[in-house]
Amino acid sequence: MEPRNNNFLINQEMVHPGALSCRGCGWSLLVRHLSAIMGEETVYVVPASCFSIIAGPYPLNMLKGSIVHTLFAAAAATATGVRAALDIKGKKNVNVVVLAGDGGTFDIGIQALSGAATRGENIIYVCNNNGAYMNTGIQTSTATPFGAATTTNPDPAYKQTYPKDLIGIIAAHRVPYIATLSLAYLDDFVNKIKKAKEITGFRFLMVDGPCPPGHKTPPEMSITLARLAVESNVFPLFEIENGKYNVTVIPEERKKIKEWVELQGRFNHLKTNGYDTVISDMQNFTDEQWTQLTRKCSEKSNVPYAERKRK
Amino acid sequence: MNRYPNHTKKVLHGNAAAAEAAVVCNAEFIPAYPITPQTTIVEKIANKVADGKTGATFINMDSEHSVFCAAMGASVCGVRIFTATSGQGLFYAHEVLHAIAHSRLPVVACNVGRPSFPWNIWSDQTDSLAQRDTGWIQLYGESAQEVIDSVIQAYRVCEEVNIPGLVVLDAFYQSHTSENVWIPSADLVNQYLPPLKSSELTIDGWFSKAYGGLVPPAQYDKFNHHFWKEMSRVEDLINSTGKQFKTVFGREYGAVEAVNISEKTKQILVTLSSITSTAKGVLGGHKETGLIKIRLFRPFPKKSIFEAIKNIQDDCSFIVIDRNYPGEIEGTLMQEMKRVLYGRKHPVYNVYAGVGGRDVPPDTIEKIIEKFRKKEVARDEVSWIDLE
Repeated sequence: MEPRNNNFLINQEMVHPGALSCRGCGWSLLVRHLSAIMGEETVYVVPASCFSIIAGPYPLNMLKGSIVHTLFAAAAATATGVRAALDIKGKKNVNVVVLAGDGGTFDIGIQALSGAATRGENIIYVCNNNGAYMNTGIQTSTATPFGAATTTNPDPAYKQTYPKDLIGIIAAHRVPYIATLSLAYLDDFVNKIKKAKEITGFRFLMVDGPCPPGHKTPPEMSITLARLAVESNVFPLFEIENGKYNVTVIPEERKKIKEWVELQGRFNHLKTNGYDTVISDMQNFTDEQWTQLTRKCSEKSNVPYAERKRK
Repeated sequence: MNRYPNHTKKVLHGNAAAAEAAVVCNAEFIPAYPITPQTTIVEKIANKVADGKTGATFINMDSEHSVFCAAMGASVCGVRIFTATSGQGLFYAHEVLHAIAHSRLPVVACNVGRPSFPWNIWSDQTDSLAQRDTGWIQLYGESAQEVIDSVIQAYRVCEEVNIPGLVVLDAFYQSHTSENVWIPSADLVNQYLPPLKSSELTIDGWFSKAYGGLVPPAQYDKFNHHFWKEMSRVEDLINSTGKQFKTVFGREYGAVEAVNISEKTKQILVTLSSITSTAKGVLGGHKETGLIKIRLFRPFPKKSIFEAIKNIQDDCSFIVIDRNYPGEIEGTLMQEMKRVLYGRKHPVYNVYAGVGGRDVPPDTIEKIIEKFRKKEVARDEVSWIDLE
């Protein structure tokens, strides 16, 4: 089909109307842009997550591609089987894309993820990181930010540890492509998906996922919040291509983490809880992460990236 | 010499027979993870893949959970799967066993039985019997020959009803014991086992489909009901395809095997796996003792058992031998036999024997026969014969 209008980011709509996401949810926008690039000949593997629901109950499918729903811990393993079977059937051009949340990626699914990354499975793994188990009602995951309150870290016992450096963990698997993506920077978002699509091997994309019910934000603030996360370095946009780090978006205006925090109800409790100290800690941590990232960007990749292909 | 035409005779362990079965059945995808005493099955398949003796895709996974999930993902896309596991591996995959069965995927796997914890790697059926409610067909056998034949038959039946199948081997007595094994040629297997068919549900990457999404209450029981209808056919299918097996391969199998059962039989031993062979050897000296070997454990072969015992008298007793401990009073096989014999007058006794891999020699079988021959034994007697 010819593109209808070159001014639109989405030329071929790959989602049907009527997705079951909450207002302001990152999943719908993420999947809409992702699927438009991946095309119809794509099998999405979906572990337990908000997207299990959003994709539609039996017998519905919001996507024009296919969906294999799977168990919580098993996204990357199931995708391994799907990839192997499609390859056996000579369908090497069909894309296999995992759509998982942070719980299914950082926590219960990390073993299968590590296995698939190490084997160099030819799949794209997309993690919609909204920083908690949102589908079950906002429980703490190892992606939950320091300072946030969740239903399992209720105020005053809010989350007192920093999230796992999952990108660093995936990078240690020496995969060909890793990137962070934000819905507030769609050009960058689209470019990274297109780039990932052209690469063979294990590709990992982490998207900052707005979640109005979980972050306690008004739905119309989702994109503003996502932009603030980038501007404040909470969620810097970068990629790691064959071991080479590269920051892809340098915001014109730098913001303090306080602005990002104050937009979200999940941090409200801090106001009665030694606010300035906590914010200062969070700012220091974020600054340190940014310094490390910029240092990595200045380094050459010295890791051997042999092309890994199964025969 | 050539007892079975179009077969190759080899001396093989049961585990090697399982690997041969995967190859002659043309399993296309083998996700693998090591665990004693199963490991040599996947090792032998890995060797066959490395040597080009099969074009199968072999992948070293990160756990049994991942093994069975990869099997599920590949099976959804319509390829034939084989894998093998044991004990903790099967326990770890428990969640996925349900998912595979209720996704109606005809995955076939071997399990080499061992118990749970504390560590024990020896022969015991606690692992597979504990999976009885996962929706997998389960076959138990006595010999390395039965391993290869049961895997072939499992593919035939499982792919017809879209239900997965587990072929269970006894640890060491079957898995690591060398025996003469007749390996059928791939051509012969092709006569019996048609190629795996795709259906409109098969995920092909070309047409938009969704598999496994949320099923609301108004539909869920319909899936279960359909599963139930197909599961209800399995016992007959095992018997009919077991007869066809003879016409192609020269060996016949049924859901159960009855030995020495007539209207004169006073007691019947009920066994699984290699204890059966030992018991068969003892029966010669006991004219009034018969035996039922349960080959098909899931679904439990009620009809075949009734057929086997149709001539016995009401006072004929059953002695059910359990090589498993399910954390209950009665062993797993005993529970199944009791439900089959519900409403009948036969005394039914339960014996735990060989649990955790303790050897069950002919003497133990003799001891069991003698103990329960006496009239003074209480009807609900549960015996730990090895500890008495």
